[in-house]
Amino acid sequence: MKTINIKINGSMYTETVPVRMLLVDFVRETIGLTGTHVGCTYEGVCGACTIHLDGEAVKSCLMLAIQADGHEITTVEGLANNSEQTPLQTAFNEQHGLQCGFCTPGILMNMTEFLAKNPNPTDEEIRQGLIGNLCRCTGYVHIVNAVREAAKIIG
Amino acid sequence: MFPANIDDYVRPESVEEALAAVAKYDEGESVFLAGGQSLMQAIKSRIVRPRCIVDLQNVDKLRGIDQTSGLTIGAMARYVEIAECKTLPPAYAALNDAACHVGDRQVRNRGTIGGSICWNYVASCMPAVVLALNGTITLASSKASIREMDAQDFLLGPFETAREDNEILLSISWPSPPASTGSAYKKWGLVTDSLPVVGICVNVTLDPEGVCIAARVAVAGLADGAQLSVPGAEAIVGSDGSGDSITAAMATVAGSVETHTDHWADAEYRDQLICSVGAEVTATAFRRAHG
Repeated sequence: MKTINIKINGSMYTETVPVRMLLVDFVRETIGLTGTHVGCTYEGVCGACTIHLDGEAVKSCLMLAIQADGHEITTVEGLANNSEQTPLQTAFNEQHGLQCGFCTPGILMNMTEFLAKNPNPTDEEIRQGLIGNLCRCTGYVHIVNAVREAAKIIG
Repeated sequence: MFPANIDDYVRPESVEEALAAVAKYDEGESVFLAGGQSLMQAIKSRIVRPRCIVDLQNVDKLRGIDQTSGLTIGAMARYVEIAECKTLPPAYAALNDAACHVGDRQVRNRGTIGGSICWNYVASCMPAVVLALNGTITLASSKASIREMDAQDFLLGPFETAREDNEILLSISWPSPPASTGSAYKKWGLVTDSLPVVGICVNVTLDPEGVCIAARVAVAGLADGAQLSVPGAEAIVGSDGSGDSITAAMATVAGSVETHTDHWADAEYRDQLICSVGAEVTATAFRRAHG
């Protein structure tokens, strides 16, 4: 067991965890922030567990919690500011960018960082950016529409 | 997919501390962890069951891309850094090509070039690129004991390298390239940016008339891992980059490596992929060499 300190969505957490605990399990089970999803069997293929580690989109099932010791994490719960949605969240709502919604947290986290780096993406760039996130409902058309609409507002 | 018990985790600040941490355990019981995008998969599926993880994230010396003299890429340089490095000369542009299409954004934000070549996965991009670009591998087993070797001596085969358990990969480096040199890499997979069914990296140096005077070719996605094609490189030398000469050279590349049949592609199809993807890559390398 090791004691780790991780700032999540602006709040500091100090917890004692086994070395082998995955970061996604720490976020979901230990901290109770269940917006971060597990869509595959922790194989790193679905992207539903995507969070921000020091501002960058990473898959939290491909890390141990202890690797994030001393770092700052943002989860999907940390995107909205006092319940005010980000432009990307609003665009997903308005463009119907989800059906079952299971993959949505990971996509929001990935595309939030994507748009911060590339505020005026082409559709091809959006599609390239989404490679690490599997959605089995929408066929991605509405997701791409949502990211494009958000880019118009942000850019 | 959940790791077996892990006794200890350390996060050294220096190469010396990292080497000392690994030395505390018997051979194979402790592992260096870079970006973890491959190794964590192996740990979770319990193919690798370390007692101790030595996390290299705080070892500054392993980071970054240095172009003050030639090109030195730290072992912990991430794909995203290599993909976004816009100052690489045309001779090393294949590194950009490969890094831009490894996995996905999230993987590129964590995965490292050093981790990739030390893992030397049977189907991966960076080993082929490092082979074709003839990178120099620098390993340290203590402050006083540093050894350098060519990439082809380091990459022994799938999941096998010349690195000993008590050695740490410091960097991959290249001298300033000769004039009129260009490289390119491209892979083909069943879905976008997946592991290469076939990948090919070509590196050419041209004379003032635009005729190739030196070349290296490496193929990824083979059963034996990434392999150099010496006959293929010899076939490109003397070419002016015309379509016919490249087509002939790529047939030589395909004939010189042992392609295999698996559930992704049969051997004959792999040969065809080497020819078609290889022709495109070679044309790009020539174009870049022309500047």
